[in-house]
Amino acid sequence: MSVLSSPFAKKPNTVTQLMLWVVLATLPGVFALVFFFGVGVIVNLFIACSTALITESIILKLRQRPVAPILWDGSAFVTAWLLALALPPLLPWWMTVLGTSFAIVFAKHVYGGLGNNIFNPAMVGYVLLLISFPLEMTTWLPPQELAAHPVGVVETVGIIFSGQGSNTATIDMLKQGVDGYTMATPLDHIKTQLAQGYRLPEAETAPIIKGLSGVGWQWVNLGFLVGGLVLMFKKVIGWQIPIGVLLGMGLISLPLFFANSDEYLFPMFHGFAGATMLGAFFIATDPVTASTTPKGRWIFGLGIGAITVLIRTFGGYPDAIAFAVLLMNMAVPMIDYYTKPRTYGHARNAKESS
Amino acid sequence: MEATRANDTGQTVGGSLMERSNFASEIPIFEIPGGVHPEEHKTRSNQADIRTLSLPDELIINIKGQAGNRSIPVVEVGDTVLKGQMIAECDGIFSSYQHAPTSGTIVAIEDRTIAHPSGLSDQCIIIQPDGKDKWCQLTPVRDFDQLSREEMLATIFESGIVGLGGASFPAHIKLKRESGIHTLIINAAECEPYITCDDRLLREHSREVLKGAEVISKLYSDIDIVVGIEDNKPSAIDALVSARKELGFSNIKIAVVPTKYPSGGEKQLIQIITGKEVPHGKLPADLGLVMHNVGTCFAIYETFYLGKPLIQRLVTLTGDACKEPGNYWVPFGTPVSHIINQTHAESPKRIIMGGPMMGYELPSTEVGIVKATNCIIMSAEGELGFDNPTLPCIRCGACMDACPASLLPQQLYWHAQADEFDKAEEYDLFDCIECGACAYVCPSHIPLVQYYRYAKSSIKNNRIEKTKAEKARQRHEARQERLERVKREKAERHRKAAEARKKAAQKAGKKDEKKAAVQAALERVKAKKKAQENKDDNKPATGEEK
Ligand code: SF4
Ligand code: SF4
Repeated sequence: MSVLSSPFAKKPNTVTQLMLWVVLATLPGVFALVFFFGVGVIVNLFIACSTALITESIILKLRQRPVAPILWDGSAFVTAWLLALALPPLLPWWMTVLGTSFAIVFAKHVYGGLGNNIFNPAMVGYVLLLISFPLEMTTWLPPQELAAHPVGVVETVGIIFSGQGSNTATIDMLKQGVDGYTMATPLDHIKTQLAQGYRLPEAETAPIIKGLSGVGWQWVNLGFLVGGLVLMFKKVIGWQIPIGVLLGMGLISLPLFFANSDEYLFPMFHGFAGATMLGAFFIATDPVTASTTPKGRWIFGLGIGAITVLIRTFGGYPDAIAFAVLLMNMAVPMIDYYTKPRTYGHARNAKESS
Repeated sequence: MEATRANDTGQTVGGSLMERSNFASEIPIFEIPGGVHPEEHKTRSNQADIRTLSLPDELIINIKGQAGNRSIPVVEVGDTVLKGQMIAECDGIFSSYQHAPTSGTIVAIEDRTIAHPSGLSDQCIIIQPDGKDKWCQLTPVRDFDQLSREEMLATIFESGIVGLGGASFPAHIKLKRESGIHTLIINAAECEPYITCDDRLLREHSREVLKGAEVISKLYSDIDIVVGIEDNKPSAIDALVSARKELGFSNIKIAVVPTKYPSGGEKQLIQIITGKEVPHGKLPADLGLVMHNVGTCFAIYETFYLGKPLIQRLVTLTGDACKEPGNYWVPFGTPVSHIINQTHAESPKRIIMGGPMMGYELPSTEVGIVKATNCIIMSAEGELGFDNPTLPCIRCGACMDACPASLLPQQLYWHAQADEFDKAEEYDLFDCIECGACAYVCPSHIPLVQYYRYAKSSIKNNRIEKTKAEKARQRHEARQERLERVKREKAERHRKAAEARKKAAQKAGKKDEKKAAVQAALERVKAKKKAQENKDDNKPATGEEK
C-alpha cells in the first residue's frame, strides 16, 4: 500500500505554472520587440522553442527518462523562449537552432537535467553564438520607424531561412537600405563611437539614441519591466535578484557618470538599454542557477548589475548581461556557502564548525 | 481596549473566508519568519457542539501510545476493570500511566497494528467494554493548595497526563523545573488546517481550561499566564474573556496572534509571544517559560477537580467523506474503523491521523486512537494529496521562504537525497521541526519532510551503530592491551635475568677477555642445565640469549 507523506494539503504552485507565468510575463516586452523590430522575433521564438522541445525529447529518450512529464515542466521551453528574445530578429535559422540545442544538451542535460545545471542554459546558448558569430549576433534591424525599407513578414521569413527576402532583399541589402546608419543596437553604436574617439554627447546625437536609451529599446525594456514586476508581485520570482541587478548597475554607473559624463553613460540609459530588464527580471532570476539564500540573492543580483556595467564600459562587448550572469553563476556555490541564514535558536554569528 | 482593532501583522492569504477576531492582543506580539497559509477547512468541524461516540466492541490500547517508553501492563487477560482503573504503569519517568477508558474485561494483551505510518504492530491491551461504563473510586484533590509541589506533580504523573497538543510528551516532565519560571503560556494557537478540538474545547470549557492553568500556576511562586490564540477563533477568544472575568483570574493575558501555519509550534509561539528564540540545545524553561496546550490544561483540571485520570480526549473528526464532522470525546483505544462507522463516513479515500500538514496516513483502520491523536481526517477523492509527479528541485527557494526555522530546506534535501548526512547536519537538519511548510510550497512537489525524517533516522541509527562499534573497539583494545601487558612483563623478566647474569660476570672480575668468554659460556651451560632441572618454561629461551 502506498502511503503518502505529510503535508497532504493542496499545494499552491507547480513548476509548470511558474514557467507559464514567466512566459506570460514576457509578453509586454515581446510585443514591444515585435513592434519595433518586426516579426523576426516571433519566427525566432518559434524556431527556438521547437528546437528545444525536440532536442529535449531526444535527449530524454537517450537518457531513458519519461519524456512527457519532463517536457511538461516547461523548463526547456522557457530556456528557448528567453534565448530567442535575446537574439537579433533576422538571425539565420540554423544559428538559432544551434544555440538552442547547445543550451539544452550541453548547458542542461550534460549536468544531469533540470535542477542540476550550474550555468543559465539560455545564456550559455547566447554566449556560444555571440563568440562564434559576432557579426550576425550584433546585427540588429533598425527600429521600424527608422528603417528605409521596412521588412515584411515574407521577407523576414525568407531572410531567416534562406538569407534571401522575396523582394530579393538580402540581409546585406537591408543593411545598406538604412540611410548610412549601422544596424547596431544603441549600446553597440555608442561603444563604436567612443572607440573612434567621439565624446558621448556626440555619439548620442544619432537618430537611434532618441529618448531614454534609444528608439524602441526603452519600450522593450519597459515592457519587460512591467512583466517582471508582475512576476515579482505574484511571487513567481523573488525581488532581491532583479532589484539587486538594477542597484548594482546604478552603483557602478552613477559614480562613473558623475565623474565624467562625456564618457560614461547615464545610469538610466543602462537600465533601459539592451537586455537589461530582460536580464534582471527573467534571466538572472532563473532559480536553478541563481543563489538560493536571501542574502546570497542580493549579492548575486548586485554582482550581475555591476559586472554588466563594467563590461559595457570597459570590456569588448556592447551588451554584457549574458557574461555577467554566467560569471555570477560560477560564484553561486561560494555565495551560498557563506550566506547561510541563521537558523532558529542559533547564535547570531555562528559559522558552521569546520 | 477590547474595542480596538486587532494587531494585524500577518496576511490572511487563502483564509479570507474564515472569520477573524477583532480582539486586540493584550500583549505585543512578534513576527516569525516563514510560514504558510493553507486553506483552513475549520468551519467544517467547529460548528457543532462537542459530542460523544458510542462505545466500540473493543478498545485497542497501545501501551506505547505516548512519547517515551512503553508502559507496563498491570492487568491480565480475564481481569475485569472499572473505568479509570490503572491498567499499565509507567516505565521510568519518561513514560506514562494508562487507565481503562471504560469498564469491561481484558480480553487480550497482544500485538496489534498501531497508529503509525509504517503499519507496525506493537503490544496492545484489548478491553471488551461491558457497556456499564462504571467508574472506579475517584478521589479529587480540590484543595490542591494543601499539596506539596511533589505531590501535585505526582498527581499529574499518575493520572497519565501527557501533552495533548500532538507530541504527547509526559506533562510532569515539563513542569519539573521550579526556579526561574516566570511565564506559563497556554497554547491555543491551533494552526493545523482542519483541526478544531482546542477551539471547540475553549468555546465550551474555557472555565475548566483556565482552572487547569491555575492549577499549573500553583506549581510556581510568581507566574504570569498568557494564552496564545490565533485570530481565526473569535468565539473561543470571547469565551476565554468571559471565563476569565467570571473566575476573576486577572493575571491571565490573551495574546491574539495572526493566523499563519505553524504559529502553534512550541518554538514558534514562544517567538511570537516573547520575541525570543529558544536557544539551540536549550529548553523553553531556560527562558523561564513553560508551555501547555489547552487540552492538557483541561485534563489537569479534570484530574484535580474531579479525580479523573486521562482516559479520553477531544478529537476532531472531519474530512469531506465524514458525514457528521465535529469534535468528539473519544476514549483511548477506540478503533478508527468504529469512528468511521459512527460518523457515517462514505468510502473515505485516505484516513489521516493528525492534521494535513503534519499528520500521517493510516495504513489500517483497525488501530486504536492514542493520546496524541487530535484529529482524524476522512478525506474524499481528490480532497487531500495530489497526483502531481515529483520534479527535480529547481532551487527556487520557496521552501526557504516558508521555513519558520530559517533553514535552507533545498540544501537539506540535496544532501539528504545524496546520503550526505554530515552535510545535512551542517545545515542544521536537527533544527527542522518537520512542520511541512517547505514541502507545502514546493512547486516540484518534493516530499521534503520525508527526506528529512529519513536523514534524521539514518543519522540516529548510524550513531547507535557507532556507539556499538565503539564499544566493540574498546573491548578489542582492552584485550590487546592485556595481551601486550603480558608480553611486556615477560620481556621485562627476561631483561632482568640477563642483567643479573651480566652483573655476576662482572663480580667474578675477569681480566682476560677470553677467560671471561669461556666463563660466560660455562655460565650459560650451567644455566641451561639448571633450567632443564627446574623444568621452567622460560629458561630455555634465556639460555639461548646473547
Ligand atoms: S521549493 Fe522545492 S523546488 Fe524550490 S528550492 Fe525548495 S525543494 Fe527545490
Ligand atoms: S519541515 Fe523543517 S525544513 Fe521544512 S519548513 Fe518546516 S522546519 Fe523548515
